[in-house]
Amino acid sequence: MGNKYTILIAEDENSISSIMQMVFKANNYNVQIASSGSQAMMMISSYCPDLVILDLGLPDMDGVEIIRSVREWTSIPIIVVSARTHERDKVEALDLGADDYITKPFGTAELLARVRTELRHKNSFSSNSPQMQHGVLSIGKMVIDYDKRHVYVDGRDANLTQNEYKIVSLLAKYAGKVLTYDFIIKNIWGPNMKCDNQILRVNMANIRRKLEDNPGEPVYIFTEIGVGYRMAEFTGVNNEKSL
Amino acid sequence: MKNVRKYFSFSIRDLLAALLILVIASAVCFVLRMIDENASYAPMIFILAVFLISEKTSGYLFGIVSSFAGVLLVNFIFTYPYLKFNFTLSGYPVTIICMLAVSFATSTLTTKLKLQENIKLEAQREKTRSNLLRAVSHDLRTPLTSILGASSAMIENDEYITKEERISLLKSMKEDSQWLISMVENLLSVTRIDSETAAKITKQPELAEEIASDSVAKFKKRFPDANVSVSVPDEMLLIPMDAILIEQVIVNLLENAAIHAIGATMIKFTVTAGDKCAVFTVSDNGAGIADDVLPKILDGYFCSRSENRSDAKRNMGIGLSVCRTIVSAHNGEMSAENLSGGGACFRFTLPF
Repeated sequence: MGNKYTILIAEDENSISSIMQMVFKANNYNVQIASSGSQAMMMISSYCPDLVILDLGLPDMDGVEIIRSVREWTSIPIIVVSARTHERDKVEALDLGADDYITKPFGTAELLARVRTELRHKNSFSSNSPQMQHGVLSIGKMVIDYDKRHVYVDGRDANLTQNEYKIVSLLAKYAGKVLTYDFIIKNIWGPNMKCDNQILRVNMANIRRKLEDNPGEPVYIFTEIGVGYRMAEFTGVNNEKSL
Repeated sequence: MKNVRKYFSFSIRDLLAALLILVIASAVCFVLRMIDENASYAPMIFILAVFLISEKTSGYLFGIVSSFAGVLLVNFIFTYPYLKFNFTLSGYPVTIICMLAVSFATSTLTTKLKLQENIKLEAQREKTRSNLLRAVSHDLRTPLTSILGASSAMIENDEYITKEERISLLKSMKEDSQWLISMVENLLSVTRIDSETAAKITKQPELAEEIASDSVAKFKKRFPDANVSVSVPDEMLLIPMDAILIEQVIVNLLENAAIHAIGATMIKFTVTAGDKCAVFTVSDNGAGIADDVLPKILDGYFCSRSENRSDAKRNMGIGLSVCRTIVSAHNGEMSAENLSGGGACFRFTLPF
C-alpha cells in the first residue's frame, strides 16, 4: 500500500487527539488535527481527507451543524465521537449523514475497526455502481444468495419473508456499519412510512429467531439500543493493536 | 397568596371524604336517636366528625365548612324543634365555637404533620445522596492514587524499569481507569434519576433480547474473556423501561460477578417472563456472598475492605445500590441470595 489514507481528527481535548494521532500513525495513516469546529470545516474543504473523526462536543460549533454543512458538498466518511451526555445528538448526527459513531470512552481497537470499515465501504461504493448486490455473500455460517433472494444458515434455508430478506440484505450491504431505525425503515417501507420502529423491531425479532442460534447472544446482527442495528463483519484478518 | 391557596386547597377527593364522614355522622345520630330520645350526644358526634374531616383532608377549607355544616345539621335535625332552625337554644354559641376551634386546631396540626413528613423525607434523601457521595469519593481515590503512583514511577525511574514491569504497571493503570469509568457511569445514572423524580423516568417498550444482548456486548468490551451464557425467552417480551439505565444495572451485575465472585468460572444471565413482570437473573458458580454481608449487600455503602481483608477487591456496594435505585424507580424489585449449589444470584424484576 503505497498511498496512506489521511484522517482528520476534530477534537478539542489535546490529550485525546494526541493519543488518536499516535495510534493512527502507528497503523500507517496520515493524521491531521483540528481543535475547533471552524478549523475542522476549513481543513475538510482544503485538504480533502479520506475520513473525518468528529467529536460532537466541540466548543465553538454544534457537531450536528458541521455534519449538515459538510454533507452539502461531500460524502466523505464521518465517524462521530459522542459522550454519554449526547445520546440524542448521536442519532441525529447519524440520520443527518454521519457514517458511524463511537462512544467515549472507547478502546483503540474499536476505533481502528470502525475506520477500516468506513474506508473499505468508501472504496467499494466509489468503484461499483449502486447495483452491486448480486451473486453470493457469506458471513460466517450465513449465506446470502442475492440472485435467488434467499438466506441460508448452516446450509438450511432460513425462510425469510420478503421484508425480512430486504432488511438482512440492507444490513449486509453496510456490514460493520450501524444503521439507524430511521434509515432502515425508509429503505424498506419507503420514505412516506411514519418512523415507528415497533414494526421494524418485530421484523428484527423474527429475523433473529430464524438466523441466530441464541437470540440473546447474536453473532450476525447486533442491536445498538436507541440507535439501530449493525451486521457483523467477518473480515478474517484481525490483528489490532490495543492501547 | 400561595399560602392562602395551599391552606384552602380544594380537591374532589377531599370533598367526597368530607361528605362521606358527615353522612356517616348523621346516620349514627339517627340510629342513636331511635334508641335514646335525648339529643345531647349529637354535638359530640359531629365534633368527632369535624375532627376526622380536618385530619383526612388537606388545608383548612373542609374543616371549617364542615364545622358550620355540622352545627347547622345538629340544629336542624337533631335538636328540638326537629327540622327547624333554632338559634336561641342556650349553649348554642359554645357548641359552634367549640366545633370551629376543633376544626382549626386539627387542620393546623395535620398540616404541620404533613409538612414535617416532607421535611423528613427530604432529609432522608439528602442523607442517602451524601452517603453515596462519600462512599464514591472514597472509592475514586484508591484507583486514582494507584494510577498516579504507577505513572509517576514510570516517568521518574524510566531507566530502571524492565519491559515486563512497565507492561504490568500499564495494565494496572488500564484496569483502574476502566473501573473509574464504570463508577462515573454509575454516578451519571444516579443523577439522571435524582434530578427527575422516580415517576418521571422516560420508559419505552424494549425487547428483552435486545437489551440482554446489548448489555452483554458492553460487558464483554471490558471483560472479553468472561464466560457468560445468555438465555432469553422464546416469545417476544416487550418491557417498558429506560433502556440506558437498565443496561447499566445488567452491566453492573455482570461486572460484579466477574470481579467479586471468588472462584467463579461462569456467569449465567437469564431473562424470563414472570406473572406480571420480567425477571432478570445474574448468577455465578463462585463462592457466594458471605452470610454477614448478604442481608445488607443491596443497601450499598458497606465497605468490604474495612472489615477484614485490607486488600479485598473494591467496594461493590455502590454499584449494587445504584442498581437498586434504578430498579425501584421502575417499580421493580431486587434481591440477592446464595444458590444452594454454590454461587451468588442477583435477581431483579420489571413490571410489564
